[in-house]
Order: sequence, then C-alpha cells, then structure tokens
Amino acid sequence: MRRQLAALLIATAMLAPAACGTTNQPNTPAPPGQPDKVNVGVIAILDVAPIYLGKSKGFFSKRNIDLTLTTAQGGAVIVPGVMGGQFQFGFSNVVSLLLAKEQNLPLKVVCNGNNSTGVDGTDFGSLMVKGDSPIKSASELNGKKVAINTLRNIAETVVRASIRKAGGDPKTVQFVEMPFPNMGAALQSGQVDAAFPVEPFQTAIRGQGGRSIASSWVDAAANLTVATYFTSQQLVSSNPDLVNRFTEAMKESLAYADAHPDEARQIITTYTTITADVVAKLTLPKWPADINRASIEALASQAMTDGLLKQQPDLAALLP
Amino acid sequence: MTAVLRRTALVLGLPVVLFVVWWFASAGSTDFYRPPLRRILAAFQETWIGERLVEDVAPSLVRLLVGYALAVVAGIVLGVAIGSTRWLRALLEPILEFLRATPPTVLVPVVMLLAGIGNEMKVIVIVSGAIWPVLLNTAEGVRSIDEVLSDTCRSYRIGGLARLRHLVLRSASPQIMTGARQALAIAIILMVISEMFAASNGLGFTVVQFQRSFQIAEMWSGVLLLGLIGVALSLAFRVVDRVVLRWYHGLRAVERQPR
Amino acid sequence: MSQTAVRPNRAGALPTPVLFGAVGVVIAAVTLELVPRLGVVSAIYLPPTSTIARALVEQVQRPEFWLALRDTLVTWGIGLAIAVVAGIVAGVVIGTVPGLRAATASTIEFLRPIPSVALIPLAVLLYGSGIRATLMLVIYASFWQMLVQVLHGIVDVDPVARDTARSYRLSAAAQIRYLIWPTALPYVVTGIRLAASVALILTITGELIIGTPGLGRQIAVSMESNSVPPMYALVVVTGLLGLVANQLFRAIERQVLAWHPSQRRELSEAVSGL
Repeated sequence: MRRQLAALLIATAMLAPAACGTTNQPNTPAPPGQPDKVNVGVIAILDVAPIYLGKSKGFFSKRNIDLTLTTAQGGAVIVPGVMGGQFQFGFSNVVSLLLAKEQNLPLKVVCNGNNSTGVDGTDFGSLMVKGDSPIKSASELNGKKVAINTLRNIAETVVRASIRKAGGDPKTVQFVEMPFPNMGAALQSGQVDAAFPVEPFQTAIRGQGGRSIASSWVDAAANLTVATYFTSQQLVSSNPDLVNRFTEAMKESLAYADAHPDEARQIITTYTTITADVVAKLTLPKWPADINRASIEALASQAMTDGLLKQQPDLAALLP
Repeated sequence: MTAVLRRTALVLGLPVVLFVVWWFASAGSTDFYRPPLRRILAAFQETWIGERLVEDVAPSLVRLLVGYALAVVAGIVLGVAIGSTRWLRALLEPILEFLRATPPTVLVPVVMLLAGIGNEMKVIVIVSGAIWPVLLNTAEGVRSIDEVLSDTCRSYRIGGLARLRHLVLRSASPQIMTGARQALAIAIILMVISEMFAASNGLGFTVVQFQRSFQIAEMWSGVLLLGLIGVALSLAFRVVDRVVLRWYHGLRAVERQPR
Repeated sequence: MSQTAVRPNRAGALPTPVLFGAVGVVIAAVTLELVPRLGVVSAIYLPPTSTIARALVEQVQRPEFWLALRDTLVTWGIGLAIAVVAGIVAGVVIGTVPGLRAATASTIEFLRPIPSVALIPLAVLLYGSGIRATLMLVIYASFWQMLVQVLHGIVDVDPVARDTARSYRLSAAAQIRYLIWPTALPYVVTGIRLAASVALILTITGELIIGTPGLGRQIAVSMESNSVPPMYALVVVTGLLGLVANQLFRAIERQVLAWHPSQRRELSEAVSGL
C-alpha cells in the first residue's frame, strides 16, 4: 500500500508539467557601474534593421545597455517571452498588441518600430496578383481568395481596408493563411487570387511577373505605424530608467536608419540570409523616431469594424 | 457490479485527483499564461459546447479519421510489400527514414506546394506522419511470420490472396495493431499541425487562433478537448482491438495460464 | 506467433543491402532533379537536387552552420537522455506496481496526443527562447514514446518465469534486475530509437518556432529571407541526421540483443532486420 502511494505521488509529480513557480527574472536594475543586460525579442525581418544598426553603432552601449537580440518566429513567442521576463523588450505589430491589450495583458509600448513608406505604389508590402491575372483593382476581389501570413491580425485588417477603399466588400473575401514563401507559388498555380507579401517576398514575386494592385499599408492609414517595441508593465514600474534609456537609444537608432538607408541595407544582410544584390532592390520601411498615434487609432477603428476587436482599445494606456 | 465500479474508479481515479490538485494549485494564479482551472472550464463550456462543435470539431475529426484510415490502409499495403521483399525494403529504407526525420512544420509548406491548400493537403499531412508506425510495424510483423506456417502454406499450395489474408495479415495483425495504435496519437498531433497552415476551420486551427489572439483560457480549453478526444479515440481503438485480435488475446491468455 | 520455430538463414539473402539503399537514394535524387526541371513544380519553390547540393556545399563552409549543428545535437542529446531515463523509471514503476498501470492508463491516453506545439507559449513563458524551452517540448513528446514502449516490454514478461520468480521469493529489486529488465530490454532499445526520431523532430521544431539556436533557427531565418536553396539544404541536413541516428541505434540494437536468449529470437531478428 505504501509502495503504491509512493508510486502514485511520483507519477503525479512527473505528469504535472512545470508545476513549480515561474523562473521570473527580477528585472531589477544592474549594480552601479555595470551595464544593464537587455534581451530583446525580434523577428529576422527588414523591419528591425534599426535596432541592429543602433547596436553596431554603439547607441545602446553608450547608454549603459548590454544589448542581446534574439530572433524568434513571431508574436506567439515574443509576447510570452516578455511576459515571463526572459525578454526585457519585444517587437510586435500593432494589431497583435491591441489584441493583447484587449485580453488585459500588462504590456506597454515604449517606442516606434517601423512605418509604412506612406507612398502608394512603393511600400514594403502590397496586395499582389499574378502577372496575367484579370484582376486590376482590389474591388474585384469580392468572393475571391487572398493569401495572408496570419489570419485575424494586421495583414487582414489592412487588406480589408484596401478592398473597402476600392469599393469592394471585404466580407465576401476568403482569407487563407500561408507562410510568405508559399505565396508566390500559390499565386502562380491559382490556388489563391491575390496575396499580401512583404519584402523580400514582394520583390521576389515581382521578379516572377507578379504585380501590385494596392498598397494596403497606405490604404489603412496615412504613414501607418506597423509595428512597435514593447515591454511589460512590470519592467516599467520596476526599472523606468532602463525603459527610458532603451527608448532614447531606439529613437536614435530609428532616426539613424531612416537617414542612412544604405547602412540599413548592409546590416540586413548580417542578420538575415538576404544577399547584398537582393537587398539593394527591396523597398525599405520608414523608420520615424515617433509613433504615429493617429494611424494606430484609425487602424484600431477598422479592426473594430471588421469584428477583430470587440471594444475600443485604451490607447492612452497602451502607448507611451 | 463491483468489477464495473472498480474499472470506472481506475479509469477516473487519477485524472480526478490530478484535476483537484490542478484546481487548487491554480486557483489564485495571476499568471496570464496559466489561468485558474475554473476559468479554463468556463471557457470550455462557452467555446466548445454549441455550434463550434459542428463547425470546427466535426471537420477536424472527419479529416483525422479519413487521414488515419488512409494511413492504416496504405501502411499495411506498403508494409506487406516492403516486409515481403527484402530488396524493396533495402531500396526504400534510407528515403523512408529520411522523410520520417523531417519535422512536419518544415514538411507542410513543401506539401502545400504540391497538394494545394484544401482539405486534401491536411489529410496528406496526417497520412505522411501517421503512416510510419503502421508501415514499419507491418513490415516487422510480415517478416516474423512463423516459418512452419509459411512452409505449410507452400506445401498445401495456398498462395496469392488466400495466403495474404489467412497467413500474412493474420500473423502480422498483432504488430499491425500496435502500429495502428501508435499512429493514432501521431495522427491527432498532425491534425493540429496541419491546421496551422492554410486552414479556415478546425479544432487545431481554433486552438492556434486563440493562441495568437491571446485568449489563453480558451486555448487551454481547446488543449483539454484534444486530450479528451485522444482518450475517447483510444477507448474506441481498444474495443476494435479486442474484436480484431480476439484470437490473439485468447492465445496469450492460454499461454499465460500456469501449466 | 509460435515460439518453437527456429529460423534458418534465408536462402538468397541480399549480399549488400547498403548498395540497394544507395540505389534508392540515387533514384530519389534523380526524381527531385527532374520534377522541378520538368516544370511540375516551379524550380523557384522546389529547387532541383543539383541546386540544393550546391547550397549545401556552401552552407557547410560557414562557421554558423557548424555552430548551429552543434547546438542542435546538444539539445537533442540532452532532451533524449532525460526523456529516456524518465521514461524507463516511470515505465518500470508503473509497470511493476500492481494497479498503477490501470490507474494511470486514462491519464497517459489523455496527455499523449496533446501536441508539444500547444505547449510553446508556456515553454517560452518559463524559459524564454533558450535551450530549456525547446527541451521542454522535446522531453514532453519523447517521454510518452519511451513510456509506452517500456510498458509494453514489462507486460510481455513470460508468465512462467514470473511465477518462478515469485515462488523463489525474489525481492522487487531482484525481480526487476533478473526478470523484468531482460524481457523489457529489446522494447527499451527500440523505444530509444523511436524516441530519438521524435526528439529530433521536436528539437528542430522548437528551434524553428521558439528561436533556440540550432539548425531549426537557421531554417527559420532562411525562410524569412526567402533563401530557398539554403533552406532545403538545411532540411536535407536534418533528414540526414535522422537517418544517421536511426542507423546508429539499429547497430546498437544488434549489439545489445546479440546475447539475447532464443526466446526473444523472433523479436530480435525482426528488430535487427529492420
């Protein structure tokens, strides 16, 4: 009987996954004289070139920040990482953050990430069709299939905006989720009628004859802030000085990247496997130092119209 | 009566204990990604009881069962072929092992290139993973057919389809059932993974969407449902196993008797 | 399933199965070369073998590749080791303590089919994107594989032997050592082989999604950079790892089961033959 009980307890202990407490970093300030160790969760895409550039230029180290950049696949990894304290800051698109705020995640945006170029026809992402497609404008997408990389997130919101703006009915459009690398093939084979790729896939699809019918980032709002850097409320309250220094360093990095696109292109080749000749042809996002709040408000209201957000988000609480 | 009670107690005992432990351990949890069990159960009731059962769970189960059935049939067919012909096995083995080692998350985009984005793609993904245990176990079972039986068949000139049915498949059926059992768990996992790509409905799809939109209690409720489906299917499998392998279980029971 | 037949060496046994394997690989390579070239699928998305081979040669020359390979092997090894030990211990405990098997059956059946990918947010929450997050996925998935195999092995104990052990009043430890372990050993060894392939798949998946350093992360970066041939080259490396590991474990199985008594001959032959 005793043996059985012991065995039962062992089995219970082994079957309860990670029942022990969270291994939360305390996020306390570093001892004086030591730089703060900061781990930032990013995705290996064009948009985060400024932080890599800023790191290489010493904008962070001169503010006593020992910066480590960790690439992850997306928000599903970066947000829990920030929540659990493994990342001090993270990179995420605005709609993901709005969704998180709606679920009352204690997150706070600290600074801008990247913006749309604001120029219709020349943006780092666009709604595309294959070369010989009869579709000439987003209004003709009623009842058609559009490939986006994540359903019920920013891509869907901005594509719906394009369709609405062109006079179509977004409710009749069928959105299909697929990874960016598959979009070109799906367009060519007719599996989907349109797709919303971003660089470098946009240029690659153009190279196979695809053409853009709308600049969805532009259609959603003027000079749209697409993504931002964020942190947990916990860090904001426990170490506001670090948050401020990080924000200042980021602003400097963003301004620098925006003013020196060639250096930005060069740094992109270091953290991705995009080659120099390819990166020269890509359209870069814009990197203003400040967040465009009006554009986020416009995006939020469109997300509400689409039924993605249930209620008006508290932007004052989310944004800096 | 007591036997039934005892059986029920055994089946439900540990889960109930763990449930209670979980309930109390998580009751005061403020950790966003580990909500109290109470919230998860409330989310379970809201989310899954109702039309979502028909809209999402049913299509997933249909794809799962179709994929599983195909995997079992194809696994048996290929397993018999590979098990009986040594040169075929030697020929295909490196490629099969190579394909088996490729993670589904990487394989699915490639499958998407070839199979499109519809239900066929998802069924193919399920088959591509679930076929291996069936195939390998069938091949193993076919190889270990008793020599005496096989020689007897030859001397009685029992060949072709009759030999296949009465000798090969019957002998290998315990192994085949083992493989089919393992394939079931794999099929469920792949059902979820296949719905992470180019899906518009489904249980796995819904769980992933909840994950993405940070509806964590709903996500865990979906995971709970997956586990329940796993239990239900394994019970169903046990019933089928008992019927199909009646002769085998009887034989083993006799062997186990003290002589 | 009779245990009385002794299997003679098959007439016409293949002299060089390795040769056939190589031929199989060549056929597959040629197919992969032709399919894109003939336009069945566009070569941009599924490059022909020659392009992948070139990309592979180029990858192998980079130090990042070898670092990533080392990271993957370390994660894989540690995860597998922990899962195997835990699986054996849990399996022996559950299998030998009377009643425990029936009591835990429903829980095991509940937890088994839950995909590790569903645990990713929890893993990242607890461990960030370091090795421990991926290890959590790897161990979770491989543990069940191992446990199920070990339980099969323990159940398979010859009833006569078991009764003999009991009538000689062998202690629990002695029973485990002389009776249960030798019977379960082939199952354990097969279990390690199966768990190894599951562990590799989860290692790469974890690295890909979570971003733990390793081949999986390199694949993710290539995907995001639209570098198609390097991505396939890395996938080929992953497949090769699985293949090599499988052959290695088969060889180990043959060694370990060489001494095994004739009672288990069928199983050992079947296992070593595959």
